[in-house]
Amino acid sequence: MDTLSQIGSLHPLEVKVLTVLGQHQVRPLRQEDIGQAAGLEPSQLSMAVEWLLAKALLLVESEVVTPIVSLSKVGERYFEKDAPIERILSVVRDAQQTGKRITIQDLQAREGLEPSEMSGAIGSLKKEGAIRIVQGGQVEATGAPCPLAESLRTLLKDLQGAPRELHAFPEPLRRVIEHYAVKRGNPNEPFRIDDRVERRYQLTQAGQEAAQTIATQGLGDEVSQLTPELLKDGSWRTKRFRQYTISLRPPRLSAGRRHPYREFLDLVKRKLVSMGFQEMRGSLVETEFWNMDALYMPQFHPARAIHDVYFVKEPTHAREIAEPFLSRVAETHRSGGDTGSAGWGYAYDRERAKRLVLRSQGTAVSAHKLASGPAVPGKYFSIARCFRYDAVDATHACDFFQVEGIVLGPDINFRTLLGLLNLFAVEMAQAKDSRFLPAYFPFTEPSVELHVRHPKLGWMELGGAGLFRPEVTLPLGVEGPVIAWGLGLDRMAMVALGIHDIRDLFSTDLDMLRTTRGHF
Amino acid sequence: MPTISINLKDFEQLLGPAALGEATAGGNVLTAECLESWLPLVKGELKDHDCETGEVRVELQDSNRPDLWSAEGVARQIRIKLTGAAPAYPFFVAKPQAKRRLLVAPGLEKIRPYVAACTACGYAVTEAGLAQLIQVQEKLADIFGRKRSTVSIGLYRLPEIVFPVTYDLVKPDDARFTPLGFDNKMSLREILAVHPKGSEYGALIAGHDRVPLLRDDEGQVLSLPPIINSREIGEVRVGDRDLFVEVTGTDLVMVVLTLNILAVNLADRGAAVEPVQVTYPYETALGKSMPTPLDFGRPRSIPIQTIREALGMPLEPKQIRDALSGYGCEVRGSKDKLTVKLPPYRNDLLHAVDVVEDVAISRGYGSFEPVMPSQFTVGGLSRVEEMSDRMRELMVGLGFQEIMANILASRQELIERMRLTGSEWDRIVEVDNAMSQTFSCLRQWIVPSLLRVEAESTRSFYPHRLFEVGEVAAPDQAAELGSRTRMALGALIAHASANFSEVHSSVDLLLFYLNCPYSLEPVAHPSFLPGRAGRILLHGTAIGLIGELHPEVLEQWQVTMPAVVFELAVDQLAGEAVEKS
Repeated sequence: MDTLSQIGSLHPLEVKVLTVLGQHQVRPLRQEDIGQAAGLEPSQLSMAVEWLLAKALLLVESEVVTPIVSLSKVGERYFEKDAPIERILSVVRDAQQTGKRITIQDLQAREGLEPSEMSGAIGSLKKEGAIRIVQGGQVEATGAPCPLAESLRTLLKDLQGAPRELHAFPEPLRRVIEHYAVKRGNPNEPFRIDDRVERRYQLTQAGQEAAQTIATQGLGDEVSQLTPELLKDGSWRTKRFRQYTISLRPPRLSAGRRHPYREFLDLVKRKLVSMGFQEMRGSLVETEFWNMDALYMPQFHPARAIHDVYFVKEPTHAREIAEPFLSRVAETHRSGGDTGSAGWGYAYDRERAKRLVLRSQGTAVSAHKLASGPAVPGKYFSIARCFRYDAVDATHACDFFQVEGIVLGPDINFRTLLGLLNLFAVEMAQAKDSRFLPAYFPFTEPSVELHVRHPKLGWMELGGAGLFRPEVTLPLGVEGPVIAWGLGLDRMAMVALGIHDIRDLFSTDLDMLRTTRGHF
Repeated sequence: MPTISINLKDFEQLLGPAALGEATAGGNVLTAECLESWLPLVKGELKDHDCETGEVRVELQDSNRPDLWSAEGVARQIRIKLTGAAPAYPFFVAKPQAKRRLLVAPGLEKIRPYVAACTACGYAVTEAGLAQLIQVQEKLADIFGRKRSTVSIGLYRLPEIVFPVTYDLVKPDDARFTPLGFDNKMSLREILAVHPKGSEYGALIAGHDRVPLLRDDEGQVLSLPPIINSREIGEVRVGDRDLFVEVTGTDLVMVVLTLNILAVNLADRGAAVEPVQVTYPYETALGKSMPTPLDFGRPRSIPIQTIREALGMPLEPKQIRDALSGYGCEVRGSKDKLTVKLPPYRNDLLHAVDVVEDVAISRGYGSFEPVMPSQFTVGGLSRVEEMSDRMRELMVGLGFQEIMANILASRQELIERMRLTGSEWDRIVEVDNAMSQTFSCLRQWIVPSLLRVEAESTRSFYPHRLFEVGEVAAPDQAAELGSRTRMALGALIAHASANFSEVHSSVDLLLFYLNCPYSLEPVAHPSFLPGRAGRILLHGTAIGLIGELHPEVLEQWQVTMPAVVFELAVDQLAGEAVEKS
């Protein structure tokens, strides 16, 4: 780029800096001197310097790093109220004079020190020889002086309100400072050492030329922004517009955006609707009846114990369960009722059926749909939030989504069940291969597990399905065959979102949400 | 459901030469992969495999098939398929009277009424066999027997026992024996108080002045069921040849089924099983006196059409019969009806559909060609979901980032930090058996979920504009379930100069596009700064809240920026939209 077009692209701040340095010719200047001469705020100045360096109009002539010591917040407190070693020393010495016995526990209780402060201070004092610990944890003063405590006091006084260069202190004091300086992982120290970086800048050859050009020819009638006024009176014709350096990074924006996991679920929802499924919704709080009994899970089923389901505290029970469903289900559990089943053969507890729980499986939503006179043929789905009594970790969430549904129709049988699962394999997981394995669910027979070869994950279980048992459908008033299906999509979602912890599906980290793209 | 260990070498023995040859295509060495390929027959999943020891772990899914919860059971099911022959268990064929007797004392019907027992002789217990005996005993008693409450099992050295054995009822101080794991005789009361199994299972027989006890004709104690066996008689070791097996419990069918399973397992290892005659002083579903093991299964008649329709395949009667007998069932039948009886170690034929699955598994799921359901249905979303999606789209257009949160939260987050304690808004659905306080309540509004994100994101550059459309639940005495689940939209704006009018603009525009002529009415709500909060009304009904969050709320959440929020009831807006159309 030639000098002229480069000058055209200079920001007014840059021009100011160039002019100041141009006046000093080749003599390097410190940043604050430039700022003063150009009349710029430190933030404006550092922006301008940054840009000029990037354009190779400016170079760093020298850089001096000076460690500066100052008091940290802890240091200020020590200055006011004495450091732990000073406090301990004075207590122990006082005790010595009055002949009192004092233990470490006493010290800690009296002085209200943190255990870490306490042990550090005791250690240092022992090392100094100023105190000793005798039997029974009793602390005694040795009578020896404590140079460490004195040095510390000197330093606290010297540095109070006045940071100084580290090298201004003699070697022994420097060692004390370094020992008691804030470090990574140990912020509770009285001193902090910060590096003061002092740079001197000087113009490059190109910079000198640019400065000279500006000095001799001026910038002309340059404007940075086209305004309505310029357009109105046509004066833009006489103006020159500053050229931008368009390779700089733009300011950050935050966009309005869908949650990446929700985006994934929206896709699932769209696919299911496109396959002819109607959405069903249900309640987060359910009765044991709809959550389990209606699904022919006997009340003694091992997965119904206190450690598998969340129970509601208040009220504990629903007022009633709709008839005729309660009576029919009760009879089916007891003897099979009119379903052609032998039943579970136990005394069904109608009161327990009313116990309120947090919905533990999406199939509860399907059970309600069966009881509400679904269309035949009909396809239904729900993306239902479910709750399980599980310790929360990288693979277990306390609440999560289940994608579940049912299919009703006269052509429903084991082979159409497999056909539907094949469709899911292709539509939901873009899988070329799939296979079916026998499975067990309390409410279906036959039951199938669908395994697919996912393009990224290899063989994985995509879902489970089966034909609802007549013990489920008949008491709820459905005569014909019904497919019940469920898909486990969270692993696929996690791969698409590039996360490894299931808890991150509900992340509370805004940065993560703003930066996750999602590859569906 | 149970995960069991299987030793591959032991498993080869259990399969027997014919089945092993079939399974390994003549290789005669069973690998874990080879075993895995046969596991669909038992709904099993290979969990892991230790190449050094030859141990594999298999998870068995079917909770109604306890007969499969052992190496013997898994091998049996695979062997039947491979050899096409169901094993014969002659001891199920009823004889008038079994040689050995077990007498039940009166009174047990109130505590632990049922018992079944048999003897198994001539099989010298091997190390792998003992491991399986212990494992199956544990799995059956723990999972099938619900932690020994419905079923518990005891195994004993037969030569030490003098018959008849009595299943007795005694006062806890009236008998003493040395329990397994101890060196000295203790009274039953001491065992219940001191023995680890006593404290674990004692509650099952507590609350009576007497406890169950098994002892022989000379008064030797066999065990204190379902707590612990005697150390002298009830500790089976490698090399023992003659065993006595008993099962006690509260459900007769489960007790007998458990004994049947143990009996066939021992018979599969070469033991000669002989029934024991059990005599009750009270009536049971199977009579007052019966030999056990006992085949109590009844044949079931099933129309062939039912099987064909369910499978969607016009199978011939012979194909169905072959599939079922190849899975271990007894089948007889005509052209349109089959009579099916399960083997005596199974009791999972509740309904004809259970037979359908056996046919499918026996033939292999891979042998069924999938067919697409052909009937046309129209897909669609619920009104609430449609309204949610519209609102979400508008919120995104208004520059808000969507978030998703757990619905479970803590009372501290939902009530205390929101300054709602004791107010009319202090009402949430709480969990009775929460695992941790962090996840113990259902959120009653979305704002706390947004604040959770806000509190975690103080380093993320501002402005922050967040929203979520999601489910909430709130107590409602009028509701059937005592609470109602609702869909709500919550939104939050946080930056150095966030204020009421900014969030008001967002609500205003959102409701403009939703065609909802709303108005605001001041509200005194503890979460908001007084005078800077309002109810959002639609035709006089409250549909939401809007306001500047109280600084104390922000402090509690450790949010260091001013934040303004609004919340809207999505279901109400969806209902409104329907009325209009």
